[in-house]
Amino acid sequence: MAGCCGTKDQVVARAQDGGPLEHFAGQVQNCLAYARLRKSQGAPVVGIMCEFTPRELIMAAGGVPVCLCGGSAEMVEPAERVLPANLCPLIKSTFGYSLEKANPFLEMASLVVAETTCDGKKKMYELLGQRHPMYVLELPQKSRDADAFEHWVAELRKLRKELEARFAVEITDEKLKEAVVVMNRDRRLKRELAGLMQSACPPLTGRELLGMRSLIAGLPQDHEQYSKAAAWLAGREIKPAAGKRVRVLLTGVPLPHGAERVLGLIEDNGGLVVCQESCSGEKPVLEDIDIDAPDLLRALAAKYFHLPCSVMTPNDRRLERLEALAGEYRAECVIEVVWRTCLTYDIEAQAVKALAEDKLRMPYLKIETDYSPSDNARLSLRVQSLFETVKGRQGCNHG
Amino acid sequence: MLYAGVDVGSRTIKVVVIDEGLGQLIASGICDQGVRQAALAHDLFKQVLGQAGLGREDVSRVIATGYGRSAVEWADAAVTEITCQAYGVIAQVPNARTIIDIGGQDSKVIRLDERGLVYDFVMNDRCAAGTGRFLEIVAVRLETGLKDLGAMAEKAACPSIISSMCAVFAETEIVGLLAAEEAPANLAAGVQHSVARRIVAMLAGRVNGPVVFTGGVALIPGMARALSDALDRNVIIAEAPQMTAARGAALIACGQARRTAGASAEVGKFLEAVQ
Ligand code: SF4
Ligand code: SF4
Repeated sequence: MAGCCGTKDQVVARAQDGGPLEHFAGQVQNCLAYARLRKSQGAPVVGIMCEFTPRELIMAAGGVPVCLCGGSAEMVEPAERVLPANLCPLIKSTFGYSLEKANPFLEMASLVVAETTCDGKKKMYELLGQRHPMYVLELPQKSRDADAFEHWVAELRKLRKELEARFAVEITDEKLKEAVVVMNRDRRLKRELAGLMQSACPPLTGRELLGMRSLIAGLPQDHEQYSKAAAWLAGREIKPAAGKRVRVLLTGVPLPHGAERVLGLIEDNGGLVVCQESCSGEKPVLEDIDIDAPDLLRALAAKYFHLPCSVMTPNDRRLERLEALAGEYRAECVIEVVWRTCLTYDIEAQAVKALAEDKLRMPYLKIETDYSPSDNARLSLRVQSLFETVKGRQGCNHG
Repeated sequence: MLYAGVDVGSRTIKVVVIDEGLGQLIASGICDQGVRQAALAHDLFKQVLGQAGLGREDVSRVIATGYGRSAVEWADAAVTEITCQAYGVIAQVPNARTIIDIGGQDSKVIRLDERGLVYDFVMNDRCAAGTGRFLEIVAVRLETGLKDLGAMAEKAACPSIISSMCAVFAETEIVGLLAAEEAPANLAAGVQHSVARRIVAMLAGRVNGPVVFTGGVALIPGMARALSDALDRNVIIAEAPQMTAARGAALIACGQARRTAGASAEVGKFLEAVQ
């Protein structure tokens, strides 16, 4: 079996090293161990709720930023004892974790930093602020206005002071620069990993890609795994084969850890999610921070201010990105996920639908759902029907 | 060769058998849905074949559709009711652009492009308002049958306004109106208009004609008119409106759409691709 040596060596190499997929399967435990260790060494754990929060400032203050977005369906019910039922599940789940004291990261957090994004979150933060130390940044939402940006810069300067005072540290430009280097690397590695999905035969599924992230960004062990991932995944084949699946550009709301159901459903029904535009996918990693900028804080502010979230108005940057991503990832259709009662994404869906149908000339489907699996059959029908349409149109165009 | 479509819906099961050559209807049947869904579908299939003097071996391909489509293990493939409905309608009305389907427990609006392919669709399957179930509830309240609701509505002097968006609250509203001695005829007409308004809302102002009406509710007299009033355009009731999805499934099974009356070449290729 001499001819198999190469393969054999590879298999041996893989056996010693579980590979990135296995590594990230234990991400919550890894993050917990890391946060506990750092906290025992005196570093504050700082909770964040949204991709507008500049992790770099927290890191430069010696803190450990951890994402606290709730993705658990179980936490929705306890939250409904306090919050209106008619609210986005992400907000309810996040708050439910606090009521149930079920998120160890939130329990060990010395501070939670959040911002005024959608109304539901903003008002939930007031309640959360009664339970945990909280700092809310005001996010100006007129994306094109120079004075809005100046206000955002001012808000970040205030946060810098707040962190310095609270944690009795000085956030020097040097420290900020170090943090930016780590996070730029984090974003680059994540972009490269996501870029593997551009291939005609991607080596992993969208669900697997979504699983390759941690609640704490920038962990050294994660970066090691990301840099090995491309080589490790080379030649890997997914089943059913990519060629038999419909390539999906997924957009809309983020899918927090625990709320990956819709993505799984799309892939179980014949799709392959080649690109995830949302905050749990590429949106936060598409732009880097100019490390050589004369004013690093302004550069930092610019990156975050550019985040194409639906709370911004107008939010045309999102449409530009979607158009570019659809081409780069060779998407065949667009699926948008909207958490029920998320007004900003739901209304903006009109523009995304128009972009998909009129400009990209591909079918579009909006999925409105929450964390409960009760609508699985209904959603499967919609997804299957969309894929039949995609295949049907291809039959026509090619035939 | 013969081909069959089986539509396992939420309230009824339908079977259609067609002939390869012209897509002509050979046999069809319908029965109520029950607990043993897969077995019921199989029994109906055998019964339809038996009545036509046919055996299973005469049918070369079966496509299942409807919400219970995946339970039909003996079918050769499953295709969603959206695609099947579109094809079943196009075979009847080749230039159809909008399908309004109101079934027992859901309603949907399917828009077709100029080639007769699905452009997009909107479904209401979360709430009984705007479905046949709602009309049924009201018929019971008005102490009449579903079939007679239309005749009753025709006598309305001034259709009542029923504004509740939910079937349960609409029922309460109707009870209140009855207590206030509102004429049952006005209520019957009011309810039909209420269902029609729900459907129009689903279309979000983008209606292309011709509009074809399918589903069991299309059989209720007056519903097409209520829709047509609400849309301000003509609404065509499909022939055998309950059977269109099953018929579409049979046509897909047949895969020879190009030879069926009126179907465009695109639709033929589409069917081949879907299979
Ligand atoms: S979608 Fe908007 S509000 Fe939600 S995490 Fe992303 S940036 Fe924040
Ligand atoms: S999904 Fe929408 S409603 Fe929910 S937190 Fe994000 S922006 Fe707010």
